Parts: sequence; structure tokens; C-alpha cells
Amino acid sequence: MRLSGWRWLALSSACLCAVAALAETRPQYGSVLKSATRITPMSLDPADRSQDDTMAKRNLTRLMFDTLVTMDDRGRLQPALATSWQSASGNQRWQFWLRRGVKFHDGTPVTPEAVAAALRAANNDWTVMPAVDSVIIERNNPDAELAAEVARPRNSISKRSEGGTLIGTGPFHLKEWQPGKKLVLAADEGYWGGRPFLDGIEIDFGQGSREQLIAFDLAKIDVAELAPEQARRASTEGRRVGTSAPIELLALVFTRERQTPEEGKLREALALSIDRNSIRSAVLQGAGEPNGGILPGWVSGYAFVFPAEQNLERARQLRGEVKLASAWTLGYDANDALSRLIAERIALNARDAGLSVQAVTTAHPELRLQRITLASLNPRVALSAVASSIGLTAPNVQGDLMEDVYQMESAMLQSQRLLPLLQLPVSYALGATVKDWSQGRDGSEHLESVWVGGRP
Amino acid sequence: MTRARKRAVYNSPIATMFSRLPGFSSRFLSLLLAFFLAMSLTGFASDWSAPEQELARKIAAATGPGAIALNVVNKSSLTKKDSDEIGQRLQAMLEAAGVRTVKPEQAAATVEVSLSENLRSYVWVAEIRQGASEVTVVMASSPRADTAAFDREALPVTIRKIPVWVQEDRILDVAVLEEASAPTHIAVLDPEKVALYRWKDGKWQQEQALPVTHSRTWPRDMRGRLILRQDHLFDIYLPGVFCQSSTTPPLSLICRNSDDPWPLSNQFGLGGFFAANRNFFTGVLSPGIGKQTATAKFYTAAALPRVNYTLWIFAGVDGGVHLLDGITDQSARLNWGSDLAGVRTSCGSGWQVLATRAGDNTGDSIRAYEFPDRDPVAVSQPIEFAGGITALWTEARGGFAMAVSRNGETGNYEAFRLALACAQ
Repeated sequence: MRLSGWRWLALSSACLCAVAALAETRPQYGSVLKSATRITPMSLDPADRSQDDTMAKRNLTRLMFDTLVTMDDRGRLQPALATSWQSASGNQRWQFWLRRGVKFHDGTPVTPEAVAAALRAANNDWTVMPAVDSVIIERNNPDAELAAEVARPRNSISKRSEGGTLIGTGPFHLKEWQPGKKLVLAADEGYWGGRPFLDGIEIDFGQGSREQLIAFDLAKIDVAELAPEQARRASTEGRRVGTSAPIELLALVFTRERQTPEEGKLREALALSIDRNSIRSAVLQGAGEPNGGILPGWVSGYAFVFPAEQNLERARQLRGEVKLASAWTLGYDANDALSRLIAERIALNARDAGLSVQAVTTAHPELRLQRITLASLNPRVALSAVASSIGLTAPNVQGDLMEDVYQMESAMLQSQRLLPLLQLPVSYALGATVKDWSQGRDGSEHLESVWVGGRP
Repeated sequence: MTRARKRAVYNSPIATMFSRLPGFSSRFLSLLLAFFLAMSLTGFASDWSAPEQELARKIAAATGPGAIALNVVNKSSLTKKDSDEIGQRLQAMLEAAGVRTVKPEQAAATVEVSLSENLRSYVWVAEIRQGASEVTVVMASSPRADTAAFDREALPVTIRKIPVWVQEDRILDVAVLEEASAPTHIAVLDPEKVALYRWKDGKWQQEQALPVTHSRTWPRDMRGRLILRQDHLFDIYLPGVFCQSSTTPPLSLICRNSDDPWPLSNQFGLGGFFAANRNFFTGVLSPGIGKQTATAKFYTAAALPRVNYTLWIFAGVDGGVHLLDGITDQSARLNWGSDLAGVRTSCGSGWQVLATRAGDNTGDSIRAYEFPDRDPVAVSQPIEFAGGITALWTEARGGFAMAVSRNGETGNYEAFRLALACAQ
């Protein structure tokens, strides 16, 4: 028997409510997104170099601040606070024309003077001058990648209000800030890129992975960071997981240059002794990609030319060529259980090659297990940032060909200051109500485009 | 707005590195040059010729004339056919340059060529092993294409999904200006311009791009409509902005701030006021449906003509569907998404409603429904899209709908023309 139309409507109203609770496709405005993170920032200043340049810190910066240009997922520059740009004098002089009508969160206009001051504060060695509707950056040497450097969150545009508060032009403005503990942000109604869908964001700092997962399962937070080894399990347990491309280089970093050719042989022996595949399968539960290069393969296209396979025979041979080998101390982050496991496994691998490595948490080890986040999708900028982060002078290789980038990376590896191990992705557990979660290939979150739907 | 200035470019195609390579004899060089010249004169027209030549030249420079074992491995998104052909042409170029390819046991050197890629380029890497010496690495790269138009191939399904256009920038609407068996002249609206393309010589060619001049901040989930007109080419409706094309040649566009209602249907003369800072209609209707001049906030609307009235269906912001007939405003909970469009056909009652499905935006589908009474009855299988639907509008004459989806894999916006084909 066929139901009449209005009876059908009445029935459907009653029966389909549960489905309809999630029955939206187009983004909805409203709601506050709650998340947590492991980091404990004591400052929100994008130019503050005293804090680690982690992905979480960069994403925090992106919420409140804008850069002159951004980089898309293909590594191409896109307009942001600057609508156009141009280089001159053999890439020594760059000019960025500013978007008109953009205001800081306190309502004051974004002027060339304010932009120049922000860039100067972030880069001591840049000469930055305001012009009529633009800023000019001059370098001592040609810098073909300056615009890509400008796209890094650390070069975001900020200023201090009269009360001393740091303000930006980003999609969210500051509502509450407890350094190292909590941050509450509110949507900026007049954001030049369009008002975010969310009304606000609350972030709790200093929360370990385990605490975050508990809070996530109790629906106290909408987004939780996942440690690399947690991502697969979280997925198999039915949680919704968002994962970036591999963007975090896990590497061993020697704190000083090699002193003798013999030391170079020992470092090479250590590199050949490490079983990256077993670290990946046993410790990281299948996460990450073994890599002998500094850049991930999807950025360089040639990572496979750097060997990442264990070669114990050759490692032992090299060890045998050196008569005296002192023990190395390998430092790791005491608060990171994963780092401890990896450090201990490396020590075991080294022993198999006749090397003595001791995993420690002391302040001054000879080498350190370090995570270095990919700074840019521009390979040259990314390599320079890695060099800078480990105190290595970036090799001066001219030319803008991929082969030149390869030469630069090869030179860095030949210095033996760092031994790449794996490239790790960044993963998050996402609540069912979190919609349009989008994460750039470089790990950048775009919370201004996220919305929350179907929340009871 | 944006001034046309030169932008920084990354990873530009590898120019010749010939001068850097040592060990080239003049005879060897002459052989290579003669070969490449011959190739160009005989119309060798592969897209890959530049990187192939470059890599062959570098390999030959590194090995010198002699016997090598060549192995080509595809580590990129290139098809097997492409990679096989590249391998064959590389081999031919090397042979022409005096580098013979032989079995590994007979070779003086082994060359492993990996066809790889990164974000911007195809990166072809040759690892050359000669005796006990270290591996020599040489490379060539070629930029990857940014965008490409679809092939114009229709899919044989009840809902015909005809690919029209694809681009990186968000597509708000597409209007078909002329057509033969398929569209031949189209206008593509994105947030900053309307671009006109003509199908000519087997490909789409841009005729003109008219910038949308405005001083507004566009909302997220930007929406817009491109409406064809009789006395001038088209009108454009954007959040808080209205644009009109010129009535006489040359074609130009004049835009102004405007809160005028957007047309919800060309056929049924109803407009809706759009919330200029959001992604929905306010619910206020102009001139109204009978006595009804407002409904709940909605995303899209579709009209179904009846004998004595027109039934309007609105996809509400609250996730429900509102049916207005001029007297009553009935809400229903259907498992529909937020995009609807009416399409006039020769099937069934003459008008069907296309509706997206409810749920996440990661993939989407559209299905056709009829309303024999007021019960929606599915009349087609759903057709799938590779990403969320970002726009679904009825075309000016009502016979087609234009759907835009954002491909979840590529990030590109893809516009499809949708037509309903009767089953019998």
C-alpha cells in the first residue's frame, strides 16, 4: 500500500532524524573546535627563535598570523598579504606589493612600515624598507628563494598593540592566552580571506599523546595529535585519522664536525649498521619511510639514490679499519618514550657492527636523536633550514636545477653531521563532527576552512 | 587588484648542462648533435624529448662510448606505456651516440634510470656504476602539467555526466554559450573572473577573461551564479556583488555592490536573497511563492511545476528539506545533501530533481528524484564524484544542470554537465 505524501513526510521526519543529524554537505558556520597539543609554547611571537620550530608551533602561528605569501601543495607561491612580488638585481632585491584594506586584529591597517618592522624583527640580516604600497627586501647576496623563505610561518606579520599584546591579521584573534597552558581564539569577522566557519578554537598545551587520546575518546576534544606508532592502531580501532605526507626527518645529529678521517669511517659504519626497516616495523608500527636522504622523496624526487639499507658487513669492515674507537653517547628526549626505544635499538645495531653507543638523556651527548620538521616545500629552503637547525653552514651550491639541489644535499650528507633515518608523517585523530579537515602536504592545518557539523 | 608581475619560479626545466660535462670528444659530440638534429628534422614530437635528450647526453658523457647495461624503472605516475616508450627512446639515443646497450655480464657499466617525480617536476635519475668506482648520479627534469581540460567523453548512464572543464581555482558556475553535439563555447566563473573558452582545433582555447572588480571580502565556501540573458550575454551574481556583461561589443563586465536577490530559476521567476558574508540564502524570497515570501535559510532550491502551482523544494541550512507550494511550508528530513537542482526532461512528469547525498564531503554522489505526489522517488542510480559537490545549478534553459566537484585527490575543481536520459 502506498503512503500518501504528507504521511510519508511525517514518517520520514520521525525515522530519518538520526541520519539527518549528519545530513549536511555544505559547510556550516558556528561551533568551537577543541584540541590539544604536546608543545608548551611560552610565546606566540612568530619571530621568537628560542622555541623549537615544530609543526604544532607553525600551525599555531598560522591561526593568528599571515605571511606575505604562502606555498601551495605543489610548492608554488600563492598571494597572501602580498598580492604580487618581483625580484630584481639578480635576486638581491625583492619587492612585495601589499593587499589593500587588510587590518590587524585591533583594526589598525596593515602598512608597509608595519610589515617591514615585522620582517626586520624576524631576520636580522635582511634590509627591509617600506615603500608606498609595498615592502622591499634587500640581501647581500643573490637569493632566488627569498619569496619561499618569506612564506615560512616564522616570517609572519605581527605587531604589538599599544597594550603590548601581539596581534596579527590571521583568521582567528586572541581571546585568552595562558602561556604554556591554554589558548582560546575567536574567529575574526573581517578576515581578508573570509571569516572562518568556526566561531573559535580552544587549545590545551602540554598534553601527552596518551592524555590526548583519553580526552578524545571522552569527546572532550575534537582533534588529538597521534604519535607515529599510534596512527595505525587508532585507525584499526575505528578512529578517524588524518595523516600528512612524511614531513618529519628523524635523524642522528652529531654535535660537532668530524675531527679525523677515522672518525668519518666510524660515522659511516654507524650509518650502515642501522636497520631502519626494523625500526619502522617494530617500533613505529609501520609508520614512516626509511630514508637515507634529508629531503623526503616526494619533495626531491631522487631520495632513493641515498642508501638506507643496513649493511653490517661493510659497517664491520669500516670499524675494523679504525684501531681505536671511543664510545659515543646518544641523547634522546627523556619525555618521549618513542625516542628512547629508537635510541636503544640504534645502540643495539651499532654494537653488532662493533661500535659502542650508549643511549642517554644527559645534556651534552656526542650525537642526538632529533626530529627535524620539513621547513618548506621548496627543496633549497628546506635544506638550508635543516643546516641551520643543526648548526651546519649550508653548502653554497649555485643554480636552480634539481641536480644542483642534489649536489647541495649530497654535500650536507658528506659532512656526516647528520645521519637520516626515517621520514615520519604527522597524524591526528579527528572527531566525527569535524568536517573538511584539510592538511597541506607540508603538514599545515587549515582550520579556517574546518567546520563542525552534526554535534548534538 | 593583482598586478601582473613576474612571479618566482621553482625548479624550472633543466637547461643544458652540456658545458659542464667532461670527457667529450669532438667526434662523439658531433655524433650526438647529428642524431638530435636528425630527430628534430624528422618531426620527432614526443613531449619527453627534451629530458630524454638531456639524460641521454649526460649518461653518454659519463660513460663515454662503449657497452652499458641499461635498466629503466618507473617510480612516477607515468603510465607503463609512457615509461616503456621513454626507455626505448633513451636506448635509441644512447645507441646513436655510440653507447651500446648489452646484457649486464657484457657491460662495462650499468645504468639504472629511475623515472621519478616530485611536486613540480618529473625527475629522471641515472645511477651509473662503472667497475669499483663510486656511483655517478646524473639527472634531468621536466615540469609536470598543472591543469588539463577533460576529454569530451560522455558516460552512458541514466544521468549523463559530461565533463566540461577542470581547473585549480574554484569554479562557481559554468554556462554553455554554444554547443553542437557537445559544448563548444563556454563561460567559466571563478571568484575573480569569468573566462570564455572556445573548442577549436581539438582543444579549448581561451577567448577572453573578464575580471570581477570588487572591494568585498569573499566568504568561505564561495558561491556564485552565471545567468545567460537575452539582451546581453550574461549576469553574474556573487555574494554582495552583481555584474553585468556589456550589451554591445567588445564584451566587458561592469560590477557593483548589490544585495539584489539571486535568480533561483529562470523558468519560474523566483529570486532569493543571499547572505553576503555566508554561504546560504537568507530565506527571504522575491517576489515570493504565492503568499509565501520567506522560508528557512537554505543553500539551494529546485522547482517542480504542477498543474495549478509550482512546488518549490529548498535544501535548508538545518539539514532538512522545505517544500513550499504557495500556502504551506512543510519540512522533511530526507537523506539529502545541501545541493539540489531541477532539470526539465522528456521523462516521467517532465521535471526531476537532482540531489546530492548527505554526509561527509570526501566523496559525493548525485541522484535524480521525481515527486509523483510529494514523495521523492529515486529514478536513477547515483552517479559518483571524486570529491564533494561545491556547486549544483540548473542551466538557463532548464534542460541540464551544471555540477562542480572538488577532486579529493588532485584538489582541482571539475565541472560536469548533467543531463537525464530516459531509460526507454
